[in-house]
Amino acid sequence: MANGLAGTTLRIDLRNGEIKRFPTDESLYRNWHGGRGIIAKILYDEVPRDADPLGEENILILNAGIMSGSFIPAGSKVSFGSISPLTNGHGDSNMGGHLGPMLKFAGYDMVIFEGISPHPVYLYIDNEKVELRDASKYWGMKSLECEARLKKDLGEDFEIATIGPAGENGVLFSCITHDFGRQAGRTGQGAVMGSKKLKAIAIRGNRSLHVHDLKGLRKQVKGIIERTKVHPNMEPWQKYGTSFFMRWSNDNAVLPAYNFRTTYYPDVDKIDGDQLVEKCLITHKACFGCWMNCGKYTKAVIPGKPEVHLEGPEYETGSTCGSNLGMKDINHVAYINWLVDELGMDSMSSGGVIAFAMECFERGLITEKDLEGHTLKWGSVDDVEHFLDMVVNKRGIGEWFAQGTKRAAEKIGRGSEKFAMQVKGQELSGYDGRWAPGMLLSYMTADIGAHHNRSWTITVDIAEGREKVEGRAKIVVYLQHIRPLFDTWCICRLFWGELDITHEELVESLNYITGWGVSVEETLRISEKIWNLNRCHYIERNRANGRFFDYPPARSWEDKIPDGPGKGKGLTKEQIEKMLDEYYDARGWDRQGNPTREVLEDLGIGYAADNLEKLGFLGKPIPGGIPPVRGEKYKPKAF
Amino acid sequence: MKREGGMVIYLKAGSELRNRLNPDVDYYTRRVVTQPGKTIREILVDLGINPGLVAFGYTRGRLVRLDHVPKDGEIITLKPPVSGG
Repeated sequence: MANGLAGTTLRIDLRNGEIKRFPTDESLYRNWHGGRGIIAKILYDEVPRDADPLGEENILILNAGIMSGSFIPAGSKVSFGSISPLTNGHGDSNMGGHLGPMLKFAGYDMVIFEGISPHPVYLYIDNEKVELRDASKYWGMKSLECEARLKKDLGEDFEIATIGPAGENGVLFSCITHDFGRQAGRTGQGAVMGSKKLKAIAIRGNRSLHVHDLKGLRKQVKGIIERTKVHPNMEPWQKYGTSFFMRWSNDNAVLPAYNFRTTYYPDVDKIDGDQLVEKCLITHKACFGCWMNCGKYTKAVIPGKPEVHLEGPEYETGSTCGSNLGMKDINHVAYINWLVDELGMDSMSSGGVIAFAMECFERGLITEKDLEGHTLKWGSVDDVEHFLDMVVNKRGIGEWFAQGTKRAAEKIGRGSEKFAMQVKGQELSGYDGRWAPGMLLSYMTADIGAHHNRSWTITVDIAEGREKVEGRAKIVVYLQHIRPLFDTWCICRLFWGELDITHEELVESLNYITGWGVSVEETLRISEKIWNLNRCHYIERNRANGRFFDYPPARSWEDKIPDGPGKGKGLTKEQIEKMLDEYYDARGWDRQGNPTREVLEDLGIGYAADNLEKLGFLGKPIPGGIPPVRGEKYKPKAF
Repeated sequence: MKREGGMVIYLKAGSELRNRLNPDVDYYTRRVVTQPGKTIREILVDLGINPGLVAFGYTRGRLVRLDHVPKDGEIITLKPPVSGG
């Protein structure tokens, strides 16, 4: 196939080990563009609305998209998807590294896992050879340990994805790990993989991928390489990655500290990126097809504990597991990063869950007795290590926290819901939105629960005025269309965000690869279609008006920022309601947050309108009709 | 060429920040006449650029914060914040 696809899709029934091969359906890719798009469509069509996310009827999808494995910059990603046990809606999460390209080099575009295996297995792919193999001897191993063991047993040239004990035990924010530190972290994909008794995926392949216009693609990529080599952002990026934004976040009052109680962390310089480079850095790491090497391979050294090696912490982990937990030493942050990586937990959700538990302990809502005689104090690595052991093994109240902050707060009660920092069951990433209204709206409306990568607006908030909420919704909608496109194509966003590779150039690459001749506008409409389908899916599964699910925890409006550069700042509930109204207007949804038939039919998914209508959640027609274009590109003010 | 009592530094920026810098030397670089002793933060304010849009500076292979005081002739890359690959 001269269209960037490998040509074959695998469907694997884990109940009986049956492996079916199908020619990859190019029309599916043409309509949904791969990655999270195809995952959204298959989940919507195939998983019953009442299916338990950890039960037989959920499916787990591995999709390498249309551009992963080509030699366009950072064509390295792969997406995992299933109904999320954390949010009970569409879930997807992607990872960099080498797994996606290797899947395609082995000849496969997608693997769909159905059912639950009667015993632990791993998927073995070596070009034509596809087998489910017994994984009994790997079951119980930690994530990085299991990856190392499989490489030793199978060969260094296999690319491996694993789950850890958290995924095996059904911790709802479990991740899937690859390349000793790349994770599909969000939405609990590791828990679904564990529920299926699928311990790992091991892939080796050496086949070629064929593209529509190799000459054109080569010329374009050569130009991109020449341009990005001299881009001013390249060198600092190669040297420091994302870890250096802690200080900036602190200075600008968006850094979460002490469970998002404040945005001011006086010890930020002890856990910032220069400390990481000075004390922990071993070497730099890059994903397939990338010369930015933003990954930092590091060590954590704490007296009395073993020296451990890991990738990170990057910014998100540094904030959620650093300042948010009151850590005051970069080695401590790195050690916690390693702990959650080995256990196989999403580091962002882990940081949120631990911080929530710490605040509950501080307030006396959980006690030393609940914690098996231990404390859970801000800044204590030992306390965190013990608490995580309770969580991963679901001992005592560890069972509550293994279900994430939302469900833990429901168990604890006594007002704890106010500071359980999540939306739709997923914990916030490493930014506080109280003085960054666009960012808060991004969290509130993200299709997979709170997540920064769907839309990140903080520089827009700073540039446009942080007290103002008007006009922000349209920009959030635009970003929610363009940013997730990268997870659809399975390529990294950083060349776009950091090195001035334009959306137009990427669509040109897509056309060189596929020969489809799509336009920039068409790609945005496909992304909007995916977004709307996921919204319908969420409402269909959770059975209430969409608006009901879009509120952040009450801390977001009840508590102003108590100190630091943002002291006294914060949004009111009225401002939050106003942002939601504007957001729904910008999307062509009704004020209850339900998609309207007009929008869904305009996007070619009228069947979703039929389904919503049957349930009584179809949006009411908008007086004056829907906006012809939903979302508005951010144009900075000139001066 | 220096102004009397002043000095020249060169600021470089890519991506969104480049639009705000208005480069005049080459595609990424702007020549800035400023007063000795001013920090990067103060120079940005003088240029009408919100310092919140700059994460840090990068000069001679190392990172500097916005309280760094540039020397005459120094070339400083302004690194914008970014989120998520």
